[in-house]
Amino acid sequence: MSDRADLAKPTGRPDAGSRSTRLVAHPLAWLSAALAVAVLAGLAIGPSAVGLPGDAAAARLILVEIRLPRVILAVLIGGALGLSGAVLQGYLRNPLAEPALLGISGGAALGAVIAIHTGAAAAVALALPLGGLAGAGIAAAALLMLAGRDAGPLTLILSGVAVASLTGALTALALNLAPNPFASVEIMHWLMGSLDDRSLAHVWLAAPLILAGGALLWSTGRALDALTLGEDAAANLGIDLSHLGLRVVGGVALAVGAATAVAGGIGFVGLVVPHLLRPLVGHQPRRLLVPSALGGAALLTLADAGLRLFSPYGGLKLGVVTALVGAPFFLWLVIKSRREIAG
Amino acid sequence: MATIADAVGRLASRAGLLAGVVMATLTAGPTVRAAETAAETAAAVSPAPRRIVSLNLCTDQLLADLVPPERIAALSRLAADARLSTIAVRARAFPLTGGAAEDVLALDPDLIVTADHAAPQTVALLRRLGGRVATIPMAQDFPALRASIRTLAAAVGEPGRGEALIAGIDERLAAATVARTAGAPRPTALAWQINRLAAGGASLIDAAMTAAGLDNAARALPLGPGGTLPLERIVADPPDVLVLANAPDDYRTTAADNLRHPALGIAMRGRATVRLPMPLWLCASPRSVEAVEILAAVRARVVAAGAASQ
Repeated sequence: MSDRADLAKPTGRPDAGSRSTRLVAHPLAWLSAALAVAVLAGLAIGPSAVGLPGDAAAARLILVEIRLPRVILAVLIGGALGLSGAVLQGYLRNPLAEPALLGISGGAALGAVIAIHTGAAAAVALALPLGGLAGAGIAAAALLMLAGRDAGPLTLILSGVAVASLTGALTALALNLAPNPFASVEIMHWLMGSLDDRSLAHVWLAAPLILAGGALLWSTGRALDALTLGEDAAANLGIDLSHLGLRVVGGVALAVGAATAVAGGIGFVGLVVPHLLRPLVGHQPRRLLVPSALGGAALLTLADAGLRLFSPYGGLKLGVVTALVGAPFFLWLVIKSRREIAG
Repeated sequence: MATIADAVGRLASRAGLLAGVVMATLTAGPTVRAAETAAETAAAVSPAPRRIVSLNLCTDQLLADLVPPERIAALSRLAADARLSTIAVRARAFPLTGGAAEDVLALDPDLIVTADHAAPQTVALLRRLGGRVATIPMAQDFPALRASIRTLAAAVGEPGRGEALIAGIDERLAAATVARTAGAPRPTALAWQINRLAAGGASLIDAAMTAAGLDNAARALPLGPGGTLPLERIVADPPDVLVLANAPDDYRTTAADNLRHPALGIAMRGRATVRLPMPLWLCASPRSVEAVEILAAVRARVVAAGAASQ
């Protein structure tokens, strides 16, 4: 298991945080600026040219009812994914942990699909995000049971692939069994993610649960820091590990479940963002949480704005763009970890 | 909505190809040759076919009006789907086929009819296995509908019934058509569907709008791949009449979220929204003239409301 030890190294240096304390303000400042730029781009870019002289009522309708919900959701969902990735990487002490890769997003999508096609979502408004929450929670719990908290990267990824494949297959099956001639389009939506035609109703459904999940995840910071010293040391510092596990699973289920229920499964954000920011904030998990949320929000909002710039008529899914960014990064991670093993 | 029909056709043809390959392997050469000879004889003598199988919703709907029921051996499965078919109730009395070559040949048809664009592999396989297949060009306007009816009527040996059917359509169409005269207002209309599909210039719905005295707004708009039109475009410049094939809640799928978006409702406030059932315009059929009648009635209301407000 020497590879595990090497891969775990970046998250295992609590002393690195003190050196970069002064730098923390810096990444937060420019991440906030990047998020602001992303939000402005998200509001400005779309298939119709708002802002040109024209019908003010129509322009207002486009900005407030069509683009604003989309941007708010991109910020919330990107933040949820970035934060979940950072917490999962800290908790599992494994740099490969990420909601989509581990099948948690897939579980959420399955839960949402079941909520929609049993008619529950039409009958009770909250059934949709709660379905996503239940699916994400079950997938995360199954994953932790399969792999265990101290699993090596191989066990973790194999378990994640198993859970992701199973939930993806069940989602496709459920959509094909539902009386619905649009199954193929909808399978794409749930597997790749999309913010097309989201409205403020979706914001109200998802936002409270995402924010609650985010708060729960943020509260794990001190325990995650202690965990970098090892489980025994963390227990000596008064960290209740089983309680921590519940908070992590609960927070990820709330945040990723609600996010996926309204936008489908979006991959790689939770993987890429914490990795990019870790060298900037030091290797203390707690210092990574807020920057990862900001970075995830900025990345997903920019990705969605870019999507509308290059594919204004829709159809191209958000997950395609995040995978285009994320997959090369993942390759780089593979090469880097191989080199570390060799060295 | 042609994409759905195409997708269904493609799936059916894929399944059909596999089944056909298996069957071709199982049945020995002589049987196939005998069938071929029989088909050639049938084509040469060309008596009116008695066991007709239709593989496509568009030909199902025409066939049901052209030949007596006892001469139909099977219709396609979609014919019985009330959300898509004009003959859903009648179709339930017939055997229905998914269109796999194996199933089709088991029905022992003396004529197989289908749309010209649908499932080319299945058609090629059926012909190779000795089936007599007539492909009927699919219509996107009323002159082409007349041609489709004539082609199918000739193939099934009922030219007289074909002409009678066409005369009936022409009579209703003439009554519903709003002539393009100077001074007659032509409100704009837009047909928008699940998956944000808009009906552009080359579509049956465009022909129906034009006949009903409406101008298809989608003709002036750039449409994306497959004919998609984003919600923002509609909100920026809403049409006088929005034509929907489905009520927004007919399907639970997220693909219908575009129809449920509140911005659409707000933009269309004070304008007309009309439900035009999908079966009337998914395939050109004798009942497509009902689409013209419905649209002409909506146009009359819109024009009257416009005149009253001035």
